[in-house]
Amino acid sequence: MKQDFTNLLTGRQSRQGLWFAPLLVAIAIAAYLALSAPHFVGSENLLNLVAQAMPLTITAIGQMFVVVVGGLDLSVGSLISFTTAILALDGPGYLLIPAVLAFAVLVGLINGLAVTRLNVHPIIATLAMQYIVLGVTRTLRPVAGGTVPPVVLKAVNGFVFGVPMPVFWGLLVLLVGWMLLHGSRFGLHLFAVGGGIASGNEQAARNFGIAHKRITLLAYVASACFAALAGVYLAGRIASGDPNVGLGFELDAITAVAIGGTQLSGGIGSLQGTIIGALVLAMLSNGMNLTNVSPFLQTAIKGSILLMVVGLQKRKLIGL
Amino acid sequence: MTTAAMFNGSVQRIQRTPPAYFVFVGLLIVLWLSRPNMLNINIIGIFMRQNAPLGVLVLGQLLVMRVKSIDLSGGGVILLINYFISSGLFPEASLTFFAVLGLTTSTLIGLFNGLMIGKRRVSAVIVTLAVSIILVGLVQFLSSGKPPGDVPTYFNDLYNTKLWVMPSPVVFWIALSLILAGILSSTVFGRFVASVGESGAASHFAGVPVERTIILAHTLAGFITGLAALVQTASIAVGSVRVGLDLPILSVAATILGGVVFGRGEGGVWGPFFGVLSFTFLFVVMTAFGISDPGKLIAQGLIILLAAIFYGVRAAKSD
Repeated sequence: MKQDFTNLLTGRQSRQGLWFAPLLVAIAIAAYLALSAPHFVGSENLLNLVAQAMPLTITAIGQMFVVVVGGLDLSVGSLISFTTAILALDGPGYLLIPAVLAFAVLVGLINGLAVTRLNVHPIIATLAMQYIVLGVTRTLRPVAGGTVPPVVLKAVNGFVFGVPMPVFWGLLVLLVGWMLLHGSRFGLHLFAVGGGIASGNEQAARNFGIAHKRITLLAYVASACFAALAGVYLAGRIASGDPNVGLGFELDAITAVAIGGTQLSGGIGSLQGTIIGALVLAMLSNGMNLTNVSPFLQTAIKGSILLMVVGLQKRKLIGL
Repeated sequence: MTTAAMFNGSVQRIQRTPPAYFVFVGLLIVLWLSRPNMLNINIIGIFMRQNAPLGVLVLGQLLVMRVKSIDLSGGGVILLINYFISSGLFPEASLTFFAVLGLTTSTLIGLFNGLMIGKRRVSAVIVTLAVSIILVGLVQFLSSGKPPGDVPTYFNDLYNTKLWVMPSPVVFWIALSLILAGILSSTVFGRFVASVGESGAASHFAGVPVERTIILAHTLAGFITGLAALVQTASIAVGSVRVGLDLPILSVAATILGGVVFGRGEGGVWGPFFGVLSFTFLFVVMTAFGISDPGKLIAQGLIILLAAIFYGVRAAKSD
């Protein structure tokens, strides 16, 4: 019993990694904020917190798939900006939403093919894609503006039976993420591919008959699709297209994934950990806003948290 | 030697040549055909001077990339040193004082990066990005998000001097490249860098101090970033809260274009040198043809991707 609790706390002997300790940290932060900022526990603020955390949660879940297979996706921020820019082209929603999802699949495929078939390092492939997508976005919409289709606005800001839509978005991504990671063969294979990479044997999963290249490619496609979904949500929130709205999302997503106990070397990670990581970041932002901490200092604090969290994860490999 | 063997040898030599050389020659030809008046020593000197901070930063980047690492903290370091110089914290301070302060700070940041990457074995991308985020946030907090102030005039005076026909920053960049090329080719540390870049595990079993080499490479890269920050601050001659933030990514792109393969530890000093020159001329050509900033971003991304694919396919063939 004691051993089980120790394993849960340290993430040892678990494919899901260190997610319980971040949960305790999240509870501690929530308790501190509830005591120091009375507005924090108000229903309005809590709803605001969920709504604020949603784009990061969605992006982080997508990022987690890539991290579990030992990669990183730096193109998600640009893809979010691109999605808002396309949705603000004053066209019908039934045309624009499939268009952004199709583009996301294309970006994910290019990233995945570059990594798996053309032997390009994930950071370089997705960094190059970040530049290309950002360039296309700024060509389409140099400055913020435009009108988002009413269906998107309703899907993000509306209510169903008195329950605000962000709650349903949360349930939807939770369900899809859970099905993909823990309820499908794809999820199981993700861990097998990533585990092999983390232990220095990239061919390990292949030796067990797993199509490791196809799984890795699909992880990049999933990451891009989740980023596009986050872009749809953000477009609904800001009700316009903004070429810069996604800047920095890739780092926040990586931070959330790392805080949630997913090993950046691959093979270990969990959905609940990633959601906790995103919530911790959202609570910190929300709490610092409520206590009037400078936004610039918030950036430095987030960077320090990222550094501390990754500093705790000692790896076998040195380098990237 | 038969004609076929000579042909195969030539093909192999071309395949081994970094793309930077081809891109550079291609851009020169385009400029020569479209804007021949731009190809004179004074104008080229000015273009090179504008890119001297990037050129210096690339030297640090190639050093860490040779040991299969990366340094993305340059943006934050440049901003911090620019803040030291332009904020008025040290009124009446001399050039030597600022140089020592800036270089000590950047070297310590490089040492910290090296210890985290070499000893703690934390992902180099994450550590150096996090350090950059912290420094940028700190500088913007200290300056309340506004440009801090003016840079002492002696920085810009020095920046505008010339040695013979070449601007001093360009001469400094070339001299530094020569020194680094010498270190990498003729010292024990240079051999260690090559060895660790080839295979960390094999180097370890051969008695090479892998961790120490990585830490030293990052510390040296930190020092070189400090030099780049001084040149960058001298070039803009004012305080800024945005200066140099795009340089780390550009330095990675120029280094890859120059043949230092990301994650494989290959390449030398002169390939990245021509990688920087290629980017310099690329921006000149694109500006000359009226291509907007978004178009430049797309071109930059495509060049990085194509160069990486070039190496990736070549490595796959040789495996």
